[in-house]
Amino acid sequence: MKRLTVEICVCTKCVMHGAMDIIESVEGLKKLKTQLRLGSQIEIETKNLCKGEDVYPLVCINGERMERASSETVMAKVISLTSKDVKR
Amino acid sequence: MRGIYTPVTQIRRQVFAEIARVAFEGEPVSSLEEIPYRIIPGEVPAYRDSVFKERAIIGERVRLGLGLPVRGAGEQGTITGDLDLAHLNEKFYEGALVNVIPFACNACEVKAYSVTDQCQGCLAHPCVSVCPVKAISLVDGKSHIDKSKCIKCGRCKEICPYSAIIKTERPCAAACGVDAIESDYLGRATINHDKCVSCGQCLVSCPFAAIADKSQIFQLVQALKAPGKVIAEIAPAFVGQFGPMATPERVKKALLDLGFSDVYEVAIGADLGAIEEAHHYAHKVATGEEPYFATSCCPSWSVMAKRDFPAVAPYVSSALTPMVATARIIKKEHPDARVVFIGPCAAKKLEAARRSVRSDVDFVVTFEELMGMFVARGIEFGEEPPAPMEGATSAGRGYAVAGGVAEAISNCIRELYPELEVKVDRAEGLKNCKKMLALAKAGKRNGYLMEGMACPGGCVAGAGTILPISKAASAVRQFQEAAKEKSPTESSYHTAE
Repeated sequence: MKRLTVEICVCTKCVMHGAMDIIESVEGLKKLKTQLRLGSQIEIETKNLCKGEDVYPLVCINGERMERASSETVMAKVISLTSKDVKR
Repeated sequence: MRGIYTPVTQIRRQVFAEIARVAFEGEPVSSLEEIPYRIIPGEVPAYRDSVFKERAIIGERVRLGLGLPVRGAGEQGTITGDLDLAHLNEKFYEGALVNVIPFACNACEVKAYSVTDQCQGCLAHPCVSVCPVKAISLVDGKSHIDKSKCIKCGRCKEICPYSAIIKTERPCAAACGVDAIESDYLGRATINHDKCVSCGQCLVSCPFAAIADKSQIFQLVQALKAPGKVIAEIAPAFVGQFGPMATPERVKKALLDLGFSDVYEVAIGADLGAIEEAHHYAHKVATGEEPYFATSCCPSWSVMAKRDFPAVAPYVSSALTPMVATARIIKKEHPDARVVFIGPCAAKKLEAARRSVRSDVDFVVTFEELMGMFVARGIEFGEEPPAPMEGATSAGRGYAVAGGVAEAISNCIRELYPELEVKVDRAEGLKNCKKMLALAKAGKRNGYLMEGMACPGGCVAGAGTILPISKAASAVRQFQEAAKEKSPTESSYHTAE
């Protein structure tokens, strides 16, 4: 199974601007594994990523930076990278 | 909406961080006037229909953040025109704590039943049959509620086989456990301050960011910058609130970096209170001298119980709350220091200001307000070496989560009086607390120890918290496990008495 690494910055600015809620949202996606047909293993890492840049909250998904991220944008990105094709 | 980061949360936190920044950097008062423009830049509104209105609302939030009274749209003046009153390095508190910003209020209907497009126009249409006032009729094949006739009994909602009828309530009023939310002449929410117990649940429930409590951060920063010791006492719900990097030890170090001289755990005072209340239960309730016993550490519950249930009032604990007990210890050890309670709770601001019991607390700030101060000072947790956090027991730390207070006291009773059987009841949310008190008043809780918590979930769910409630409760449990001493009777502060 493929792995998707979601790195979430947890510096004070990012936490104040909702980083903890982004963590919660991504963790919540794991519980919807069946409904979303997730084909990758999602790993969450928390660290100080933004080093004082005004890009809070900062998230990196498999190395790709998402500046001023939100729960909505991060969940959409994760789903787009992990969902198997679904014939509707 | 608790535990979800929304634009409402964002606005609230940005205001705290901006006020703290201006205060720490010693910028002129005129910089406070710029805050609405810093938070809402440009010409395009971000949240509402007008950028001017958005900035005016931020302006009122800044005023409340400075401790100043809220104003309506008809009152002329700059944000800081009357700041002289509050430009102090000591607590400024005047008037009501929790306030509705009138022109931010959406004037939501208090309570209404509506037919949604899920209505199938079914043959049976039982909603029509059960309505006692003939308020429902079929219009163009679908049910229609005549609101002028509707008495809001909810029977139609209950009977609809398609769940097509919904009930909507004004969120602030639905969250209020003491029916303190009323309406002004424009249908906007107002707070009846004779009823309000300042739990803050309305302010975290309003989806239009129209309710806010007054803050003391501006004055606290002035105090931190002034000569003299300022000591923090931090409530046990703090663990996890500032992110995964913010271990308890790093939070302590961050507070020292912010300018505090020392940091105490409020759980120390909780330990002492649990022992005192265990003795009280054994000597008064178990002997039948008093019918029951209600804990007192949640100020909103305690005020509501004493005010609305006079028959119960004599049996609400008179032990010092953990906040006050810890402040007394600090003042004893550091008579010249100023004490700051850092907690999850709006109501503690009132408890610290009351005159009936000397609180010894000079300032109260919430975790959310403290987070704004950390951001304003650019303090990062990951870069700091750990400093020890000790002094409180596992039981005292457990006060942060609903059930923890009763558990600590009942365990103390079992330890100190093993022959006694302890009966416990507890309630979360003021509406449930009222039900429990009504049972007590009716004589159905005799022999009980009763714990009341205004916020559903306990202190970890307070209005000034940052972390989702379940995560916060889990973090507290880990912090409890890390304590060297488990029972309040093992507390070094108890053995030193």
